[in-house]
Amino acid sequence: MNRREVVLRLVVLLSFAAVSQSSFAEPYFAVQKGLKCSMCHTSPSGGGKRTVYGNVYAQAEVSERTLDLGDFWTGELGKYFAVGGDIRGGWNQIDVPGQPKTSETDLEEFLAYIEIRPFPRYLRIYVDAKLGPEDRVVREQYVRLSTADDGLYVKGGEFFLPYGLRIQDDDAFIRRVTGINFNTPDTGWELGYEHDKWSAQLAVTRGTAGGPEVDSGKQYSLRVSHVTPKWRVGGSFNFNDTKFGDRQMQNIFGGLRTGRVAWLAELDYIIDDGTPTGRRESWASLVEANITLKLGHNLKLTFEYFDPDGDVSEDEQNRFSVVWEYFPIQFIQIRLGYRKYNGIPQNPAQKREQLFLELHLPF
Amino acid sequence: MDCSRNVRRPGFPVILLLCSVIVGCTAGSGEGLDISGRPLSEGGDVPLAPTLASIQANVFNPSCIVCHGGANAPQGLRLDVANSFTNLVGVASRQDSSFLRVMPGNPDLSYVIQKLEGTASVGEQMPLGGPPVPQATINFVRQWITDGALPDSGGPPNGPPVVVSLIPDPDSVVGSFPSDITAGFDQDIDASTINDMTFTLIRSGGDGTFGDGNEEVITPASVALSGMNPRLAVMDLTGVSTIEDRYQITLHGSGPNIILGINGVALDGQYPGSFPSGDGTEGGDFVVEFEVQGIQPSLASIQNNIFTPTCSVAGCHSGPPGPNLPAGMDLSSVNASFSSLVNIASFQEPTILRVAVADADNSYLIHKLEGTSAQGSRMPEGGPFLDQAMIDVIRLWIDTGAPQ
Repeated sequence: MNRREVVLRLVVLLSFAAVSQSSFAEPYFAVQKGLKCSMCHTSPSGGGKRTVYGNVYAQAEVSERTLDLGDFWTGELGKYFAVGGDIRGGWNQIDVPGQPKTSETDLEEFLAYIEIRPFPRYLRIYVDAKLGPEDRVVREQYVRLSTADDGLYVKGGEFFLPYGLRIQDDDAFIRRVTGINFNTPDTGWELGYEHDKWSAQLAVTRGTAGGPEVDSGKQYSLRVSHVTPKWRVGGSFNFNDTKFGDRQMQNIFGGLRTGRVAWLAELDYIIDDGTPTGRRESWASLVEANITLKLGHNLKLTFEYFDPDGDVSEDEQNRFSVVWEYFPIQFIQIRLGYRKYNGIPQNPAQKREQLFLELHLPF
Repeated sequence: MDCSRNVRRPGFPVILLLCSVIVGCTAGSGEGLDISGRPLSEGGDVPLAPTLASIQANVFNPSCIVCHGGANAPQGLRLDVANSFTNLVGVASRQDSSFLRVMPGNPDLSYVIQKLEGTASVGEQMPLGGPPVPQATINFVRQWITDGALPDSGGPPNGPPVVVSLIPDPDSVVGSFPSDITAGFDQDIDASTINDMTFTLIRSGGDGTFGDGNEEVITPASVALSGMNPRLAVMDLTGVSTIEDRYQITLHGSGPNIILGINGVALDGQYPGSFPSGDGTEGGDFVVEFEVQGIQPSLASIQNNIFTPTCSVAGCHSGPPGPNLPAGMDLSSVNASFSSLVNIASFQEPTILRVAVADADNSYLIHKLEGTSAQGSRMPEGGPFLDQAMIDVIRLWIDTGAPQ
């Protein structure tokens, strides 16, 4: 079977799949389709390079119009090699009360994903690198050994940790406060299990959030999820043992599809030892509704809550976001969004407003 | 309103639950808190000034420690009040090791300023995703650095100093003998009490144990308090013979020669197995060990200590062998490295062998590692580069015939 036949079969398969006028990328996409993250992404916990299915789906079912470009782009450059990428740029304005508005327009990042398969289905070498525009940083680089059906795998190297919902916005409380996001890959080993409706990952890493090893303590991350066509639920546990103090985090997360709305939720409970004031317990949460207005148009409404210290009253913060995501044609996503932060009045930055327009070119 | 119709919609209970959550999760009023959201009883607001206390209260606490706090702080950079000075002043950036995070006297060459102003060559402007710190506020940080980046100017601490960090780590196994040993303290130390009698290093004598009389005292090049950070003691080991053995570091808090804080109180040094040291009372030695299992001038040792962890990572010299660089110069195993290097002409400089047997000076591998090649960039690409001691081991392997 040649590449063209593979692609055609995939298109046919997609046409018979449950039709869902969903948007592109992020966990809500998986909720709308009732699929695991691993269906569309090389990484079983989501994000990064897309699979053949993910690529074809993104081109066939996501955008308002689909230009006829001949064959679908699958990222596959043969049996042993696959690539992908993301280009993001846009305009961002931040308004902090009492301060002049700041805004910037720039090409934010150009990401390249490379997958080398010396022994297809069994051994993969994966690299996720930021190539520009201002700096070059390798975000993930690992070797992954798996069974033929990908039901069990082990990978070693540098990678994003499995924990909670892997949403795009690193500034969301559940990403920023936990310290597990696209800016903090860690180095170590991960064991993964994928079977039927279950997905699980266990990682043991340095625990330095991108830095070199500084002590003998390790960070342990466990993420387990159960996925059905209409809903999913999961939990994560993370313990980072460091010489300066430990952090323990746990969360529950889930997704639910109700008609044209895909819901996402996560609740995190974080315990820090060794802070200047001793033990500290904090909470972070997210509730998000993704409403498919019509094909190619997604409205994302998000509410987030953060309690930095359970023992301190009146320090809580929240954030509302409204984001319209538009996919005019395949490979193009436009995001127009507004975020309102609410926090203590003493810190104006906690009451800022943000307006942004993004252009995202995934391939 | 036709409630029964709404109830039939599958999303209605979810919306109801969401509304309840939002109503119940309002932002705090800030009553009784400072700008960082901490109770005023912990110290309260501090006016902006070019002092560490002010910068801590007005920059690090409100803007940074939500991420740079706790065990998951990015790059291990904790900026809470107990760690900011020790982690910043005179400490090399992990993102760009050519800069110090804070270089006293020179804000332009201080990485923290580059990150706050968005001019750093690596990574995003800080605070990540948040509004930039106003330039007027950054100027106070600049001024603090220009003034020497001194620690808090408050009165001398009452308690004894304790050890809060050590490089190399206690009980660690290191691949090469360290060029220096640094010990961090929680408060300023009396510089006159940091010397080769209060900060000592011995090696076990080859048996891995101490106290049996065959230990050797290591004589360092110097021992002194860092000129840039009065909470950092540095033992310079330049020129010390690199012998694989177990070593014992002692910071003396008892006996005739002891380390004193600037308040004149002796070090509280007992090490319980984690930092900080101490049992809460003045006095007591800080005694820990580390082991050097150094690299040997053999291909197997070089493979394990250099090629495998540094060169053959995915996307670099990871094979399969072939004409395409960098993967084609396969350094992923002893056999692959030998086949790719020894008596093999360089692709970049075909007139030079990658490893010319018994001739390290004319081996392209050495040229690339030392940065003297005419083609391409110095290896490992982007750094950090190998220290000369490690390169010298490779040189020795080559000069002794580059055996497999």
